[in-house]
Amino acid sequence: MSSPIFALNDVGVSYGKNTALAGVDLTVHPGERVAIIGPSGAGKSTLIGVLNGTVAATSGEVTALGCDYRRAPAREIRRSQHRIGTIHQRFDLVEQLRTVHNVNAGRLGSWPFWKAALSLLLPRDVQRVRAALDRVGIGDKLHHRTGDLSGGEQQRVAIARVLVQDPVMILADEPVASIDPARGREIMSLLLELSAEAGVTLLACLHDVEMALGSFERVVGLRAGQIAFDKKRADLTDDEVDALYAFERATDPR
Amino acid sequence: MTTTCRWEAAESPGSSSGTTTPPPAPERGSGAAVRSRRRRGWALLIVAAIVVSAVAAGIGREQVIKSEGAGSLLDFFAAAASPRLDTEFLALTGTAMLTTLAYAVLGTALSLVIGLIGGVLSSQAWWESGVRARRGRRLAGWGFARAVLVVPRGIHEVVWGLFFLVVFGIDPIVAVLAIGIPFGAVTAKVFSELLDETGRKPYSALLAAGASKRSAVLYGLLPPALPDLLSYGFYRFECAIRSAAILGLVGAGGLGFQLALSFQTLRYQEIWTLLFALILLSVAADYWSSLVRSARARGRRRSRDGGGVRRDPLLTASLVFGAVLIALSVWWVGLDIAVLWSGKAWEFGIQLLSEAWPPSVGDTGVGGLIMLAGVTLAMSIVAITIAFALGALFAIPASTPAHGRDHIERGVLARVARKTAMLGSRFVLVVLRAIPPPVWALLLLFVMYPGILPGAIALAVYTTGVLGRLMAESVDNLDARPLRAIRATGASASQVFCYGVIPAAAPRFVAYGLYRWEVTIRETVVVGVVGAGGLGLLLDHQIGSFNYAGALTTLATLILLTLAVDFTSAAIRRSVR
Repeated sequence: MSSPIFALNDVGVSYGKNTALAGVDLTVHPGERVAIIGPSGAGKSTLIGVLNGTVAATSGEVTALGCDYRRAPAREIRRSQHRIGTIHQRFDLVEQLRTVHNVNAGRLGSWPFWKAALSLLLPRDVQRVRAALDRVGIGDKLHHRTGDLSGGEQQRVAIARVLVQDPVMILADEPVASIDPARGREIMSLLLELSAEAGVTLLACLHDVEMALGSFERVVGLRAGQIAFDKKRADLTDDEVDALYAFERATDPR
Repeated sequence: MTTTCRWEAAESPGSSSGTTTPPPAPERGSGAAVRSRRRRGWALLIVAAIVVSAVAAGIGREQVIKSEGAGSLLDFFAAAASPRLDTEFLALTGTAMLTTLAYAVLGTALSLVIGLIGGVLSSQAWWESGVRARRGRRLAGWGFARAVLVVPRGIHEVVWGLFFLVVFGIDPIVAVLAIGIPFGAVTAKVFSELLDETGRKPYSALLAAGASKRSAVLYGLLPPALPDLLSYGFYRFECAIRSAAILGLVGAGGLGFQLALSFQTLRYQEIWTLLFALILLSVAADYWSSLVRSARARGRRRSRDGGGVRRDPLLTASLVFGAVLIALSVWWVGLDIAVLWSGKAWEFGIQLLSEAWPPSVGDTGVGGLIMLAGVTLAMSIVAITIAFALGALFAIPASTPAHGRDHIERGVLARVARKTAMLGSRFVLVVLRAIPPPVWALLLLFVMYPGILPGAIALAVYTTGVLGRLMAESVDNLDARPLRAIRATGASASQVFCYGVIPAAAPRFVAYGLYRWEVTIRETVVVGVVGAGGLGLLLDHQIGSFNYAGALTTLATLILLTLAVDFTSAAIRRSVR
């Protein structure tokens, strides 16, 4: 088997007394499609943060694309990060910028500062941006202010940003949770289609269990910061999935 | 106009958070007794400080009124009706006006550049990003960036001006640097607070995609914060006009310089022409800046209410106009930044610093220095006491509290009287703050012997103009509901005022008063240089007699005094809140 994209070894994250993740072991190989499911507060977003390097692990080892986040020099970490694209639940786009700049922001990791600054005045590589926007179905929004677009359109901009970033790995943190269900399904299938087309590895956190079970080959269950199961879809039973959420029902005071 | 309070508060060094106006936070029951005791303690201390300061300033002890000067003061005011308006002098005034304007424009432009870079470097967002948790290094970097900005902020424009005059001689660069550096440091502080309030998610999303910090700031943090920074820049521009005029008084050219010449030769009619020009320039800058800022405040409210972010055409147009003004200003004053790296300037600068080090106490001795610091403090306290009382007095007619706006007031005559009083008091406030403190001091020296008191009164007059406006705005922005409720019980307007307006507005008045006290202690330098005494006068003498080692000591004393005042004011504000 080829070398893994991510290798997490006994990883823990805690904020003061609160533990967000504990003893997580996870390996992701190229070409896999992994869904992370679990109740809210289980640590799904923290896990995404650990993988893309925005959350520092307080214990254990995180290796992404062969780069050890705890020891590698900053420059090398950035190079790895640039090969990992992330799609966020709240889009996290810069609403004040035009769409073209928000998409081009995916290339900041490969552009020198002067080129990034110049591009804000005279947009660079517009052809490539237009192609990406066409691919996600909003080619006509090139010069719109991002904040004026609808939620679904903004998530498409975020996907276009990841497309121009041209990563080997896409992380999606609840990509459709802030969008109405019909648009959400469209966007989810777009994401699956694009990652299959480009041969990119995909890891998504999903609150919607049906969606996860329907489209991903490997499912990881997360509960209270720990991995409850990590199985092929085919080997997963309904009871195991129910247990994941039953736990929440039993302890949640609401 | 509403944003002024915001900015004024944001700029105040002691305030805990950048954008909150200082309204009283609802307090918890448990600490109420302690708080009220502490508040009483502060009140006693303040009264004692005012009495001691009044005695120290020589009120009722020395002869302060120069009775023989009354005649010339009368002559002076009589001349207001007949300013010198011949073509030759008008041309001179116009030229000087443009020079002052150009200094203000270029100084503001420089302060924005410094503020932008310094603001990013002293923001928490800049230091708290990255994969590795190196808390110590981040805190050290952030703390260092903040500390670097304290000194330029603590030194008044005039002191910078005197320093750069020695280094560069008479050159437009003097005024530009003297305004740009301290304003830049203040802007950097305000901007860093703006940046830290901006949502950080888009920024960290860019970092997660491997963008460098510089690029991520450029794309993710600046676009949301930039409109606020620019509209703050317009507020600074308004202040820069007055600073440019004051810098003229110490020899940098422009309206202030002409004023100084006319004062020396006592040509009252010329003084009036120049004063009118200065008032015109100030009022125009005031108006432009408040127009831009109130449009920005409306946009901000709309986006907070979920109306989305919109472009602000007024801000865009003002920016284009500002850019044109910058280009014209460079041409008008003949700014040549090559002098910055000229060998001669460096030589002078290094020589000056080597003469200043080590600092020496000089002939005043430590005791004398402490006494002068005390006198300076007394001057600021007397000034702010007078300004607070007068400001509150003017703020009442100048404001239109919310409950009065939708209420049909008495008869037509009463409404006209009310409107006249409002416009009249606003006009007085505008004029009071359009004329800088040293000019007020020069005027007062007609009828008063040089000393602490004329300095304090000059500062008080100017501060009344600023404080009155801030107070009127805070009355305008009071929550209308409690006022309407009192009104609905059948209370008269004056009863509403006593039971509704005063209790709600008083804590803000106190907060603004304290904030202006912090500004006033810095401005004592400015009236000092025209002979009003205190550390400012000493500093001026020392620089004038090339005693740089002594000047450095005085400057250090002044900065310490400023820090002490900032600290005290912050402590009082905390207990008022």
